[in-house]
Amino acid sequence: MTQEEPYTREDTKKLFRRLQETGDPEIRAALVQLHLPLVEYLARRFKDRGEPLDDLIQVGSVGLLKAIDRFDLDRGVEFSTYATPTIVGELKRYFRDKGWAVRVPRRLQELSLRMNKIVSQRTQELGRSPTVSELAQAAEVTEEEVLEALESGQAYSTTSLDAPSNDDEDAPQRVERMGENDAAIENLEYFASLAPLIEQLPERERQILYLRFFKGMTQSKIAEEVGISQMHVSRLLSRILSFLREGMEPDESEA
Amino acid sequence: MTGEPSTSQSVEMRVPPTAGHLSLLRTVVGGCAGREDFTLDQVDDLRMAVDEAAVQLLRHVAGDAIELTVTSDEDALEIRVGAETKASQPVIDRESFSWTILQALADELDVDALEGRTTVVMRKKRLPDLQAEDPT
Repeated sequence: MTQEEPYTREDTKKLFRRLQETGDPEIRAALVQLHLPLVEYLARRFKDRGEPLDDLIQVGSVGLLKAIDRFDLDRGVEFSTYATPTIVGELKRYFRDKGWAVRVPRRLQELSLRMNKIVSQRTQELGRSPTVSELAQAAEVTEEEVLEALESGQAYSTTSLDAPSNDDEDAPQRVERMGENDAAIENLEYFASLAPLIEQLPERERQILYLRFFKGMTQSKIAEEVGISQMHVSRLLSRILSFLREGMEPDESEA
Repeated sequence: MTGEPSTSQSVEMRVPPTAGHLSLLRTVVGGCAGREDFTLDQVDDLRMAVDEAAVQLLRHVAGDAIELTVTSDEDALEIRVGAETKASQPVIDRESFSWTILQALADELDVDALEGRTTVVMRKKRLPDLQAEDPT
């Protein structure tokens, strides 16, 4: 990937303002170009479903175009926040139309959602992450069912996909409060090949990556720190790792 | 499952060396750790760890299988993921991001490279208050 010059949210705003004034297709194209990394990042989340990444990026780009055309600067939302659900929606529709979306039985979906709550409750009560048998007891199901629910929680990513990963309105403060952001980046960039990939990660995911692998924080602690559920942290971590892996191995496909 | 003996016991598995089979390894490791009273955090760590180790092995695999052994004893679960590998370069360099990840996920980590085989050995310790209880 070419090294795009770093752009800021301000640049995006300026471009949108000019697009709204002039309707210049070149500006629209520039906006597309600027946000392709976002499309790519989101498309990668669907890469395990047997479709070539290039196709997924194309589908995602349709969503990006829609988002660009519908975006209203005056609503005061960041464009990436606005565009993420549109792009993801487009990707999901693609799979739905093909009938290839990951199908998790309703029973498991429900148990998985319920498990999410029970995990948080038990974590609070115990002061540590619960075990499978403790979860089974609390949910009044078998250990088998707990394991199944946890597994499907991993596969069933709708919850986290629906929650735009750029909903970071409050995350910057958190990071600043922790005063660790710079250290985080430095640590991660020690792995030079990773730096450009890590830059593509939304702030919150970068933070989670850092807290887990460089600060050695447990998933439960991170969940508390970041204000999302442990199962969500777990899903994000798996996804971040496969994203980084994928990005580091461009030659994998010909092997 | 109830009443695991407190002596060591193990689960073994061989899968073809393709990316599509890694989920089987994850599932088995998750199932073992879950049944062994490891916490959810630990179960997830181990699932991620086996995934990472296997992905790295896949890149260097020379044989027809990736082998997994999960052994539990009183104070830890030991996961061994191994394969025949090409000798060209280490499967997991100690300077690599993979090593960093695995180290964060496992309490103990070792990579054995011997005679064309590489085995990643990871141990996860039980929490002190969750030591395997006597099945009395």
